[in-house]
Amino acid sequence: MIRAIIIDDERLARNELKKLLLDFPEIEVIAEAANATEGVEKIDSLNPDLIFLDIQMPGKTGFDMLSELERAPNVIFTTAYDEYALKAFEVNALDYLLKPVEPKRLADALQKLQIEEDKEPLSDHTISVNRSILNEHDQVFVKDGERCWFVKLSDIRLFESVGNYAKVYFGPNKPLILKSLNALEERLDEKVFFRANRKHIVNLRLIEKIEPYFNGGLLLEMKGGEKIEVSRRQTVKFKEMMSL
Amino acid sequence: MPKSTSKYYWWCQISGWGFLALVMVLDASTFDQNITSRRMGLMVVSIFSGIFVTHLFRIFIRRTGWLMLPVEKALPKFMMGILATSLLIGLMRMGLDTAFNLSSPSRQKMDFLTRLLYNTMNDGLLIVPWTLIYYVYHYIENSRKQQLDTLKLEALVKELELKTIKAHINPHFIFNALNSIRALIDENPVRARTAITELSNILRSSMQAEKLETVTFEKELNIVKDYLALEHIRFEDRLQVEYDIDEDTLDQPIPPMMLQTLVENAIKHGISHQVNGGKVKIVSDFKDEFHELVILNTGGLNGNGNGGRNVDGFGLASTKNRLQILFGQKANFDIREVNGNTVQATVLIPVDLTK
Repeated sequence: MIRAIIIDDERLARNELKKLLLDFPEIEVIAEAANATEGVEKIDSLNPDLIFLDIQMPGKTGFDMLSELERAPNVIFTTAYDEYALKAFEVNALDYLLKPVEPKRLADALQKLQIEEDKEPLSDHTISVNRSILNEHDQVFVKDGERCWFVKLSDIRLFESVGNYAKVYFGPNKPLILKSLNALEERLDEKVFFRANRKHIVNLRLIEKIEPYFNGGLLLEMKGGEKIEVSRRQTVKFKEMMSL
Repeated sequence: MPKSTSKYYWWCQISGWGFLALVMVLDASTFDQNITSRRMGLMVVSIFSGIFVTHLFRIFIRRTGWLMLPVEKALPKFMMGILATSLLIGLMRMGLDTAFNLSSPSRQKMDFLTRLLYNTMNDGLLIVPWTLIYYVYHYIENSRKQQLDTLKLEALVKELELKTIKAHINPHFIFNALNSIRALIDENPVRARTAITELSNILRSSMQAEKLETVTFEKELNIVKDYLALEHIRFEDRLQVEYDIDEDTLDQPIPPMMLQTLVENAIKHGISHQVNGGKVKIVSDFKDEFHELVILNTGGLNGNGNGGRNVDGFGLASTKNRLQILFGQKANFDIREVNGNTVQATVLIPVDLTK
């Protein structure tokens, strides 16, 4: 059973989508929200597997809402006509439906989701692990100016502190998010993400090379070619973690 | 002038004159058999003076902007230029030849004027093809650039035309309306039927809008009423509409789709950004010798509160323009914020008293 929330400012649009979803018994609509603020509340309290999200809403847009979430659920965007907003998307993990929604397109979008689900049982991890720690399969929504991405934590190789911001390295991109490195460290799984020094958190699975460095430290080369120094103190911890 | 062009120029200069020198050497070796140091000297002097003089000529051409002139005006100027350059190269050759003692004995016997004439004719002959190549190259380059500019301009005009047509009706509105109507079919079939009629009216009038210069205010108001009825289906309680219309203004001419566009903007930039919705009010009245149309909506201008409306945008300038083209300089359009949370758009059209 996939638990879904519909977020759209128009009652009729929500009704229409609910009606269309009746043909898909595996989808259970557990709540509705009429704006971004309500949406965030319901997502936080109900922890859905999927949200249907309208992009243009009063107050905050769907994009704004997503970047407020700690952990982005699976998202299917619904919009009437918004080629510009959709163009802003680089990526993968999302799908979008144009209103009025064609039932065939909805079926395709839901099927795509099911396949993803089979690959990695997304709905299970949310129950088992401590909710405040982000799993490496979790995805986050990153918005940098006009561009947005859905990023799996396992694809992020490096967080770099830049003032109050953190620069997130994944693929060829490195957008900024408004989060401190300390706050991030608390939320990240320490088995995967390692605080190498004051300014960097690295993904241990995306290290290309490890070299000894002067002063008893280490120099890590990441898969993207970034070279990160591990402080002396953290080197001890690093070696402990990496040894059997 | 970009760097690459200037590099290109030097390449042409050096290879052109170099090729000429090579021909001279080959020519000498076939007929004379012996290449004397005097002949080598002559070659160096002719390359040097050739490049020097033509470069001076180029500087002159570029300073005076002869290349920009139409062909019939440029032609006599270039003729004079060729003559002057030829004379210069003749003089220079004579001076250099004498200085380095390169002249053949037969030529040393000639008097100054004959020698100058001979030199000028001899080397000046090379200036003609040089100028021709230089001019033709730039002529072709310029016309190519002009063609490119024309194409760019055409594309821009097309884009603007498209923008105006699109400005008539917002596709976002059409698809949202269709979506609401689909939901209404089960919920309230009677309302769904009228909604389809309303949508048809709007689409029809937006298609006719391009053909007409003006329509009566009454006709335009009916469209706007249909439009707002449809938006009311979408926004439900979040949209309140109020009309305050002086019936005598119903016969007044206004540009088609103008009121519609303004109301649409009031919804798009005003109401749709308000979580708790708001009100749109349309006022039509006579004020002095003007027909005054006022559209009020909840919201703010330019980021003041949620959903600011951009005053400098395409809409303001084009609406004002359109009004003044149709009704003269007295017509006006103005948009401002009043009472902190209301945006007021005002259209002033001078009343035609002859009608």
